[in-house]
Amino acid sequence: MTRASQSGAASGAARSIADVVAAHGVVVCAGSGGVGKTTTAAAIGLLGAATGRRTIVLTIDPAKRLADALGIAELGNEPTPVVVDEKGSLAAMMLDQKGAWDALVEHYTESEEARDRILANSFYQHLSGTFAGSQEYMAIEQLAQLNASGDYDLIVVDTPPTHHALDFLDAPARLGNFLDRSVLKWFVRPYMSAGWSGLQLVNRTAGALLRRLEDATGVAALAEVSDFFNAMSKLFEGWDDRVQRVEKLLRSRRSAFLLVATSEEHVLSEGEYFCSKVEEHSIALRGVIFNRVQYESAAELGRVDEQRLEGLLQRAVASAPVRRRLVRNFLRYETQARGDQLRIESFRDQLPASLPVASIPNFEEDLHDLGGLRRVMQRLLVAGDDSAP
Amino acid sequence: MELFDRQLVFVVGKGGVGKTTVSCALALAAARRGKRVLLCEVDGVSRAAQLLGVASAEAGVAGPLVDGVAVMSIEGSAALAEYLGMIVPVRRFLQAVLKSELYQYFVAAASGLKELMTIGKIWYEAQRTDDRSGGRVWDLVIVDAPATGHGLQYLRMPRAARDAFGAGLVKREADRVVDLLSDPKRTAIHLVTTAEEMPVNETITMARRVRDELGMPLGVLFVNRLHTDHFRDSDIEALRSAARRSRSTVTGNMLLQVASRAAEESGWSQLNKRYLRQLAREIDLPRTELPFVFSEEFGEHELDRIVELIEATG
Repeated sequence: MTRASQSGAASGAARSIADVVAAHGVVVCAGSGGVGKTTTAAAIGLLGAATGRRTIVLTIDPAKRLADALGIAELGNEPTPVVVDEKGSLAAMMLDQKGAWDALVEHYTESEEARDRILANSFYQHLSGTFAGSQEYMAIEQLAQLNASGDYDLIVVDTPPTHHALDFLDAPARLGNFLDRSVLKWFVRPYMSAGWSGLQLVNRTAGALLRRLEDATGVAALAEVSDFFNAMSKLFEGWDDRVQRVEKLLRSRRSAFLLVATSEEHVLSEGEYFCSKVEEHSIALRGVIFNRVQYESAAELGRVDEQRLEGLLQRAVASAPVRRRLVRNFLRYETQARGDQLRIESFRDQLPASLPVASIPNFEEDLHDLGGLRRVMQRLLVAGDDSAP
Repeated sequence: MELFDRQLVFVVGKGGVGKTTVSCALALAAARRGKRVLLCEVDGVSRAAQLLGVASAEAGVAGPLVDGVAVMSIEGSAALAEYLGMIVPVRRFLQAVLKSELYQYFVAAASGLKELMTIGKIWYEAQRTDDRSGGRVWDLVIVDAPATGHGLQYLRMPRAARDAFGAGLVKREADRVVDLLSDPKRTAIHLVTTAEEMPVNETITMARRVRDELGMPLGVLFVNRLHTDHFRDSDIEALRSAARRSRSTVTGNMLLQVASRAAEESGWSQLNKRYLRQLAREIDLPRTELPFVFSEEFGEHELDRIVELIEATG
């Protein structure tokens, strides 16, 4: 542990993932679904607390995995303190879509009447309750609020389990576009005077067709949509600014993106895509964390011959069938590990050599408590080349 | 339950538990029984096509039928455009709409619409009949669903649409989709999990939600990546002490490695066993257990092993 922090401090450059975390106020964990992002985010949170910072982990995962990992019964829409025996503090919160939207409406509407009108709108209910993608929007909003509150030195963001890690990055821009003023204007006009057909900006043919579609589909909901935007217009005022503020925050030196991956082929190809795209988004990738890595041992031991190995075991284990099983088991793990290592190496070859990388072994137990998270945390302290198997 | 007599099958589970593997294996096993199978991938990934070693076609179009299985990638916006093409047959009009900024914005904003259209497209393929023979084009449609939370949002969409639209075409179509999705004779939702804490907890919740909230018929519970070998502590300890006694560092290291791999396997096996028991207690479904397949790279050969196991239980 000290070795890592010393070498990082000595060279003055961030070399371990822990150094990266220490140098930033917002850490975003990105990666495909099922790679252990939530656990990793929780371990980074713990690291924050261990280094004396007031830390919060924000998870956007609809499944309550973070609560499971932190050993707390339930995560709410409010920061929940996690009891850790550390210098700093750790809190966690989950973005519950519906609750977050409601809270937002409460926060930004001026009168009770305006609030109730939005909450009762059926389009709103569907948007907040069932519409995918709104999670990312809400995460952005939540991040902005947490950052503005000044209550935390470190905010760790666990991104939703999308196939494409980039969805999270695109969300603010999408929302920005969506709320682009000219578009809003179309919607916030009273529906009766400007339905689809009243839209001067749409070409006449399309306008007529949209009206026909409306007749055909019975989408009377369009009126609801219009009403919704009317009611929400107050709320959307300044939304653009907020989104831009968050985008700016994510692109600033304060924020670091970490890619979380496993050694599986499809995860690594997704990771490659992510790495190639981060630049386009003007976002800096500050490190990579490989999860569930099996270390190969044969490389350092020289190639192992099955028979020779069984011979070696003879002195220790009397039963021949047990010896055979032991050898077979060992060789199976070696095979798995060799594949893991080859894939990770070829992936690492494409990354800048100076990029901090951490490898978390495939612990033979589930990580479901603080003790487990501490084991992960220890691996984040290992610097640069030392993390190579 | 008879694994292969449904018309439409969804394979759902937490990310990373092996949904694509199970989907592909199910498709191959069904095809070996003479079924014409369409395997649908949702959300623009073509991992199933990769695993099966077939080329992926453009979104919404079935790839070539290879050994009885065709792969189709389904993407919400493409499905919506296709759907509009069906109800608005005038191509020129349609192009104008699809190109309009308003349409683009609307689709981007109401992202639930894409999920709805994805399910709509799946339904369309599942019940599509051949004009000449009058029979169904596909005997079985298998959907490799997105990871849990997101996957359930897809399944929830038709019901949400039915409730949102009081009348008209969308309501009528949503009704038909809901009918198919909740008919246990034609549809099954298969669950995939590994026997570890978080996936198991998620799967238990998911089973409940599919049945109670969505009112859809659950099929088989696939428990994937099971470790099964056990080694006695005394054997492992004997290896370690032999390692300590060994004069050669190389030999000593190797014995230690063999011991730690044995301990690792035993650890996983015990853990898997514990969570298998929990699954058995809390999810009342037929269960298919699949082993952890050790390999350098999971490919055709490894998939074949899973297919054989599924065939044996189906």
